[in-house]
Amino acid sequence: MTALLEISGLRVSYPGVDEPVEVVHGVDLVVPQGRKVALVGESGSGKSVTARSVLQLDPDATIAGSIRLGGQELVGAAPKIVRGIRGSGAGLVFQDPLTSLNPVMRIGWQIMQPLVIRGVSKKEARERGIALLDRLGVVNAAARFDDYPHQFSGGMRQRVVIAIAIIAEPALLIADEPTTALDVQVQAQVLELLHEVADERGMGVLLITHDLAIVAGFADDVVVMRHGEVVESAPVDELFAAPKHPYTRGLLGAIPRLDSDPSVRLTSVADYVDTFETVDDEPAAPAAENGAAR
Amino acid sequence: MTALLPARLRPSSSPRRAPRRRRRGVPVAERIALVVVVLIIVIAIIGPWIAPYDPYRVDLAQALQPPSAAHWFGTDVNGRDVLSRVLVGAQVTLSATGIVLLITLVIGVIVGTVAALGGRVVDEVLMRITDIGLALPSIILALGFAVALGPGLQSAVVAIAATWWPGYARLVRSIVRETRHAEFVESAVALGVSRWRLVTKHILPNSLDPMYVQVTLDVAAVMLVISGLSFVGVGAQVPSAEWGAMIASAADNVLNGWWALVFPGLAIAITAIAFNLSGDWLRVRQDPTLRDGGAR
Amino acid sequence: MIRYLAQRLALAVVVLAGLLVMAFVMVQILPGDPARAAAGRNATAEQVEAARVALGLDEPVIQQFWRFIGRVFQGDLGTSVFTHQPVLQDIAAVLPSSLELVAAAMIINIVVAVPLGVFAAYRRGRAADVAARLLALLGAALPVFWLGLLLQLFFAGTLKWLPLYGQIGFGMDVPTITGATTIDALLSGDPAAFGSSLVYLILPAITLSASFIAVIARTVRSSMITALDSDYVALARATGASEFRVVVRHGLRNALIPMSTILGMQLGWMLGTTVLVESTFNRTGIGAYMVTAVLQTDIYPVIGSIIVIGIVFIVTNFVVDLLQLWINPRLRDSAWVRRRPAAGIPVAAQAGLTPAGSVGGVR
Ligand SMILES: Nc1ncnc2c1ncn2[C@@H]1O[C@H](COP(=O)(O)OP(=O)(O)OP(=O)(O)O)[C@@H](O)[C@H]1O
Ligand SMILES: [Mg+2]
Repeated sequence: MTALLEISGLRVSYPGVDEPVEVVHGVDLVVPQGRKVALVGESGSGKSVTARSVLQLDPDATIAGSIRLGGQELVGAAPKIVRGIRGSGAGLVFQDPLTSLNPVMRIGWQIMQPLVIRGVSKKEARERGIALLDRLGVVNAAARFDDYPHQFSGGMRQRVVIAIAIIAEPALLIADEPTTALDVQVQAQVLELLHEVADERGMGVLLITHDLAIVAGFADDVVVMRHGEVVESAPVDELFAAPKHPYTRGLLGAIPRLDSDPSVRLTSVADYVDTFETVDDEPAAPAAENGAAR
Repeated sequence: MTALLPARLRPSSSPRRAPRRRRRGVPVAERIALVVVVLIIVIAIIGPWIAPYDPYRVDLAQALQPPSAAHWFGTDVNGRDVLSRVLVGAQVTLSATGIVLLITLVIGVIVGTVAALGGRVVDEVLMRITDIGLALPSIILALGFAVALGPGLQSAVVAIAATWWPGYARLVRSIVRETRHAEFVESAVALGVSRWRLVTKHILPNSLDPMYVQVTLDVAAVMLVISGLSFVGVGAQVPSAEWGAMIASAADNVLNGWWALVFPGLAIAITAIAFNLSGDWLRVRQDPTLRDGGAR
Repeated sequence: MIRYLAQRLALAVVVLAGLLVMAFVMVQILPGDPARAAAGRNATAEQVEAARVALGLDEPVIQQFWRFIGRVFQGDLGTSVFTHQPVLQDIAAVLPSSLELVAAAMIINIVVAVPLGVFAAYRRGRAADVAARLLALLGAALPVFWLGLLLQLFFAGTLKWLPLYGQIGFGMDVPTITGATTIDALLSGDPAAFGSSLVYLILPAITLSASFIAVIARTVRSSMITALDSDYVALARATGASEFRVVVRHGLRNALIPMSTILGMQLGWMLGTTVLVESTFNRTGIGAYMVTAVLQTDIYPVIGSIIVIGIVFIVTNFVVDLLQLWINPRLRDSAWVRRRPAAGIPVAAQAGLTPAGSVGGVR
């Protein structure tokens, strides 16, 4: 089983008010070929930053450590190489389908674009785009191909975003909370779809999520992050059966609190969602500050 | 009750942010601007006394002398000392600007208040009128009034005031509509205070803050229109030392008497920049949320 | 789409109505007796009375108003006392020259401001902030005419690169076909005259554009910042699109929406600013025509010019509204238009344009 994505010792920092602020402190993470890995952790733990640094999407982020995709080292690689893997090495799906699509461009063109910039003819790109959209369950895909994003519902838009992410046939799909912004019912459909398509194409998936219920049904492996570090990583069955780290136990909410981590509150499975707020001892304020200072 | 306090006196709504905001006081550029504004106002008052020469005395023998120890800013085509004229011109230009803004304020307050309290139809009609006033360039409309009044600084002042008030009417209207529902107003209403008294004693005094900011910001704009009208000959007439008129009379000698047009123009530009910077600073001080968004 | 069009058209009509009311009021409050003016200097009292009746000046104001509107729609803007020509004819003769100047200034405005705004958004940081602020500050503070004279001083005086002022080189002459010198030179197949008239257009156009550049640059910058920070730009990047494609095809395409609205308004304001620029550079045009008329207390040319400039303003804004349909596909969807926060009148956007609410002396 070869590693498709291999992250080791990843450190990411952003320019702060006086000095750079490190938000990811040495993360190790492996996505084997064709496997699905879930990355979980509380808000602000650095999941998105980790995922985005694979494609180096933040110009002001400083990345150190090693990120290998299909054996190719990306940290410190030439911009041309990084651009080359974007879309065809790894595709990315964001959280909010309402903002992920360009409002002034036809969805068809947005789906075709990754192919067109790789030299595929417009005609072929269009055919493949329609076929993919059809496969992703958009009814009447050919007719709707020339619609604009605002004419699509949220769930349909997320299918479009997925189509954009996978049309150039990446070996890895990174999905950053792809269903959080959707209705519960649509969530299940989209996840199901992702699962199927990944299996069909033998894609590896790095799924970022808050929702442990999703993890159990979707992923093969789980990586738990907290405060910019990985606290535990294990195959999904193992982790659910015997979480090693107290924080994971807190997340799972199944085991009475031990004395080890005072910031973890005892929870039941039912209200573990609340846990994220209460264990969150570093509120989102720093992000707001950084945003405002720019 | 917090709505009654100017923004800067309100308790900070996000205490978490407070320590990050370093209180550095007034930024350097704004500090200089404030000093310059004060300086210009002082010059406008005492200009005639500190002018080294008679700003109106024609001496053709001294025409178009370049800047020298005797005439720091040189002399104009009629041999008049440019420095003296710039100093005296501050009074002419700034007092004209001040009068325009004063008339504007009065009309704006009246129209805005009437629109805010006068019912839907009145409001709609008045606001459509202000739309036109805001849509067309002020200088064009001012020419329309100026043609009736004949050339001259006074008619320019009246003409500009007649085109400038719609912005203030809008501002006053929105403030009055906001304050109308403030607690202190509602309690005054409950006490049976009359409408007129309510407006003059309660609502307007509380509306002043945003207005003096707008006035400061408008000084530059109004001054530019006044000097523009004077430049084309519609405003201040010869031999007035109004800055725009000075530039107009120097325009024929661009190539052999640059000083006669450069210095009055600099006076306009510096005054405009100083007032704009100060106005911006006042605005941000009043509403700190503009600080980061302001530059965008 | 229908809804949006109706909305915009209604707005244009309202503004036009307001413009005409205002023009009428101006004519009414103006001192001086139009009947006497029409009857001529040496007219007897009876002749003046006859002219009064002929002009309908003895009727009630409302009737006079409708009469006035009727005349305006027939293209009758009155007669100039000094040129003895119908005002519309005068304006038709000078307006093309102004439009040529405005077009040249608009090109400079766009060519300078858009790249500047894009660059400032892309290279965000203190330097770009300070530069943007400085530009805005100067744009709102330098008197237009003074800037024009300084440019004359430097480029015509010191460097001797460009002519001081005027329309075309001495001794050159082009037949009046449209009234816009450059176009007339082209039409009459005179390349030398065309070159000359272009050279004469450079300084006035730069002067006219100067105070508008900062506003567009800032608009572009702020909408580009929003666009570049958006998910859809990140997604475009994540699919391997080049930076150029990301910035221009995705970012700038979205920034076009607010930019085009403001450019449309600027066109009308630029036409107003020709009052100052044409005087500075001794050019013919509607601005110079107005100034001359004001100095001669010639009422109808001034009111007529205001109406024409106002109509140009209204028409360009409506055209921009139509363009918006193409730029912003969401507007074609009536449901979306309805859901949108109350569609403001275009002038409402003005408040946000510059802190001073003014652009180089032209509000
Ligand atoms: N562009 C940025 N500049 C500065 N700091 C950033 C930036 N992006 C993220 N951060 C910081 O990095 C930390 C991790 O953020 P990240 O978005 O990875 O969290 P997350 O685990 O994805 O949270 P969520 O579940 O809420 O999406 C946060 O503290 C955030 O403030
Ligand atoms: Mg995230």
